[in-house]
Amino acid sequence: MWREAVARDLGSAGFEVVASVGDGEQAVRVAGAVRPDVVVLDLQMPGISGVDTIHGLLTAYPGARVLVLSASGEQQDVLEAIKAGAVGYLLKSAGRDEFLDAVRRTAAGEAVFTAGLAALVLGEYRRIAAGPSAGGAPELTVRETEILRMVATGQSYRQIAERLVLSHRTVQNHVQNTLNKLHLHNRVELVRYAIDHGLDTGRG
Amino acid sequence: MGFQVPLWRAIAVYRIASLCYAVALVELDSQDYSRWLLAWALLGVMAAWTAATSYAYREPQRRTALLLVSDLVITAGLLLSTAAVQYPGSMRAGATPVTATWVAGPVLAWAVQWGRRAGIVSALVLAGCDFALRSDRISIALNGAVLLVLAGMLVGYLARLAADVESAQQRATEVEAAGRERERLARDIHDSVLQVLALVQRRGIDAGGEAAELGRLAGEQEAALRALIGAKPESYLAGQEGEVDVRALLTREASATVTVSTPAEPVLLTAPAATETALAVRAALDNVRQHCPDGTRAWVLVEDEGDEVAVMIRDDGPGMTGGRLAEAAAAGRLGVSHAIDGRMRDLGGAAQITSGDGEGTLVVLRVPRRGRLL
Repeated sequence: MWREAVARDLGSAGFEVVASVGDGEQAVRVAGAVRPDVVVLDLQMPGISGVDTIHGLLTAYPGARVLVLSASGEQQDVLEAIKAGAVGYLLKSAGRDEFLDAVRRTAAGEAVFTAGLAALVLGEYRRIAAGPSAGGAPELTVRETEILRMVATGQSYRQIAERLVLSHRTVQNHVQNTLNKLHLHNRVELVRYAIDHGLDTGRG
Repeated sequence: MGFQVPLWRAIAVYRIASLCYAVALVELDSQDYSRWLLAWALLGVMAAWTAATSYAYREPQRRTALLLVSDLVITAGLLLSTAAVQYPGSMRAGATPVTATWVAGPVLAWAVQWGRRAGIVSALVLAGCDFALRSDRISIALNGAVLLVLAGMLVGYLARLAADVESAQQRATEVEAAGRERERLARDIHDSVLQVLALVQRRGIDAGGEAAELGRLAGEQEAALRALIGAKPESYLAGQEGEVDVRALLTREASATVTVSTPAEPVLLTAPAATETALAVRAALDNVRQHCPDGTRAWVLVEDEGDEVAVMIRDDGPGMTGGRLAEAAAAGRLGVSHAIDGRMRDLGGAAQITSGDGEGTLVVLRVPRRGRLL
């Protein structure tokens, strides 16, 4: 029922809904065929986890930009989804207008952040910095930390751009960059884990 | 049974050490021995039995009644065989039997396997043999007998105690696992409820009229429930004794107009520091409620900076011009300066309040971690 409501809203706002599926495996299967620009992903799905779905989606169609939704707010599962490659997050109870705006912005290449997500990302960088960093742990620049803090205290990209005397696009890029570094780090970690545990298929 | 292995190993070590002692005694007191070679043969049997028991007792399924009774019988036999190898005169004079302290082996084994009473029974059996050996000098044998009985009692008691602790621990682990499973199920239910409330809110807005009012109420409850779920009570136990996850305290302040943003990992502070910080944050939020128009929103950000914890509270109200803050403190309205600044200074930290006309107010609290107390 939720899915129908969302699909209807998207349709009437002028977006083309190329597929509407109810679980992760199906989503991964159709992704290659339908090549969506934006994937709206509900973390509360039956079957495979949100993280596995995102991995599958990005493998099938790397050009997809994943916007994740959750009901109970910014918790560990949202952070895991972001690390796995999602580029935006929104609460399910955000109003229709806010949702449509988020989809529009995601399609345009902007990272849709909530205050809670910014705090999770800040915390994740700190956790990585405090942990064992064999070779190049990603770090936030001073500017990026400042911007994330401003997002986490409720300021919009426009407000931040005004206050720091930057262009809107620059602020967006900084935020997107914090995600890119996390995504890269996550991929490296996964490869290292696979090698450590002998899961590297190359070795048979 | 995790604790059993070290206990049995300790008994084996005891037997080996006592064997060495017995060998040394036979060597040192050789003048007491009438059949010296036979005494060495007995030591050989003791060594063989030590090896056999060290192996046999290691596996729980081998610790049968047959093994334990044989242990007692063989040990008693070896004790009594002292009569065949020592001069009767030496025995009466108090010479140590050829088994020396090795004789306590089965007492310990019976105590661990069957408890305190079994330990005492086996001790009495061996003590009886000892008395038989030196029948007219009871006082000499008494010492040894008492020690044996005490050993049997104590070890038996301790073995039972350890078993009880272990099963209590086992139960606690099971309870915890069941708790975690319940939590997982609860999370699914929460998410479904939140989703339905969000849907009702949407439909209400669309439908208008009375339905819109229902939708608005559903939206309010959705925010309240989400805030409630966010404050996970079990994270109170995340730290060591006396440490508290300050996120759990601060997420309580979340509401329709207050957003609390925290890292995914627990942010630990000592209990008093956490409480004081939470009170300072509440004071800052109270200021927003009191001095700003209705509907002004506030955001609370918690960051763990390693050696200190930083909390930022920002509101989108009309702000205060520079002088007003100082004015208020000076005019004796100590609400701001004591409740926030004072608290932070008491914790060894700092509070910084900046505000601008039309720019809202930003309160930055820094709380140092342990090591820098009052």
